[in-house]
Amino acid sequence: MKKFVNDPAQFVPEFMKGIALANPDLLDFNAEFQMITRKSGPDNGKVSVVQGSGSGHEPAHVMAVGPGMLTGACQGAVFAAPAVDSCYETIKACASDAGVLVLVNNYQGDRMAWDMATEMATAEGINARQFWINDDVAVEDSLYTVGRRGVAGNFFVIKACGAAAEQGKSLDEVEAIAKKVNDNVRTMGIALTSCIPPAKGTPIFELGDDEIEVGVGIHGEPGRRRDKIKPADALTEELFEAVAKDVPFNSGDRVAIMVNGLGGTPITELYVIYAKAHELAEAAGFTVVRNYVGEYCTSLEMAGASLTILRLDAELEALLDAPAETAARIL
Amino acid sequence: MAEISQAQIERAIRTTCATVLKNELYFSDLDGLAGDGDFGTSLATGFRVIDKDWDEIPKTDIGAMLLKISMLVSKHVGGSSGPIWGTGFMKAAMLTRGKTAITLQDLADMLGSAIEGIQARGGAKLGDKTLLDALIPVHETLKAHAAGDGDLGAALCESAAAADAAIDETRTLVAHRGRASQVGERSANTPDPGIVAIATILHDWCKDCGFPMEATAPELAKAIA
Repeated sequence: MKKFVNDPAQFVPEFMKGIALANPDLLDFNAEFQMITRKSGPDNGKVSVVQGSGSGHEPAHVMAVGPGMLTGACQGAVFAAPAVDSCYETIKACASDAGVLVLVNNYQGDRMAWDMATEMATAEGINARQFWINDDVAVEDSLYTVGRRGVAGNFFVIKACGAAAEQGKSLDEVEAIAKKVNDNVRTMGIALTSCIPPAKGTPIFELGDDEIEVGVGIHGEPGRRRDKIKPADALTEELFEAVAKDVPFNSGDRVAIMVNGLGGTPITELYVIYAKAHELAEAAGFTVVRNYVGEYCTSLEMAGASLTILRLDAELEALLDAPAETAARIL
Repeated sequence: MAEISQAQIERAIRTTCATVLKNELYFSDLDGLAGDGDFGTSLATGFRVIDKDWDEIPKTDIGAMLLKISMLVSKHVGGSSGPIWGTGFMKAAMLTRGKTAITLQDLADMLGSAIEGIQARGGAKLGDKTLLDALIPVHETLKAHAAGDGDLGAALCESAAAADAAIDETRTLVAHRGRASQVGERSANTPDPGIVAIATILHDWCKDCGFPMEATAPELAKAIA
């Protein structure tokens, strides 16, 4: 294993400290609870939107904290749910009179931790609610889930809810937006390589030099099948078919397309995928209104990509257009 | 009806820590018969933190203390036992906010709420060969004494006996929840380590209160020896 790591046990707090030091005007960092919150704190006139999950998916979760996005987030160890006290303290740190919406990716560990934390916070008089994200079409049940997994579509739920909260929408309204996005967003990914959690030191699964995992999960969970590597267009076609048929999306739909890198794939390859996905979308009669090509939800250094399609309406388009600032910005 | 003081509850928790730490390897051995063999270690990892950080756990009232313990258990006990046991403590904490003493009825209510929480969290029910098969008869015992003679000592001793009986009553069942459910028939004729743990904790509480009890199930006899 060759990684920029000191003590593997300190990997998560160390990268979080770096994010905080790089964004002193934007973020606060609490090492005890592995929590990052907006420097400006919660606003009692606005719903707070929080999230927390395992590390290794950055910029997902803590790097999505900032105006117009998350109010706060906490991290577990790499690929492990955050601790209950981290979740509880994150809700408390983001408590707002307007309420707190907890966006939970659908994994058993995350759900149990946030269930407990939300219950504890509610008992303290905080108006907190949960919403589960499950956009991955690859498999119905998985290693760590009952039901579909939450993956890169998570970004769109955060973006839309963060923007709606910023506009002063009520907790009911922000929750309804979360549901609308989740109902209209679908994702599937392909892994070209495995990845190595620093504390484990070995790959989480084995993949031959010429093999790919179609429908991989963001913790290396098995997807639909193991296959041989093929030209990019053939892989993109398979992803597009799987995703587009699921909602299903229809001719005339206005959509946003995301090609998300899983951590170890250069952006050039992501644009090769985007080119084909864009053509397929136009051929299917979709209008591609917005595109997102880059890393939004990764799996450490895994080479691979996922394709996400979100069906838009006027409300969602406006929410995606709204300004937002996070530590993940590239200028 | 006699009151149960916060000091008594604190003592019961310290005793629980000692019980779990003493049986770390034995509970894991029992789990290895049908599960993945980490139950004793998982439980001990959490209770070792409670033992070590005891002075830092808030003692302002029973609820505050149990809430902190709930978080430590959820955070440090590995696998699904963390959220399951942590939920039990959390539910008990919710009913004791601001209280520095409780009645036997309160104790029964705390356990009743813990059982509901554990069922909701893990989806298990009576007869699934989980710790609920010990907790549910104990709850019935506590309720009966709370409504009847209010005798804490008798309630505790009968609870310990009920949990002991649950070990043998569930021994031949096939597990439907938790890790042992994955081996199907292989889980029959092995005791559930969670049930043994509950029985051992209750027996050690009895001993600590001056009412040592005889064990019926051989695994319990070994754990309290």
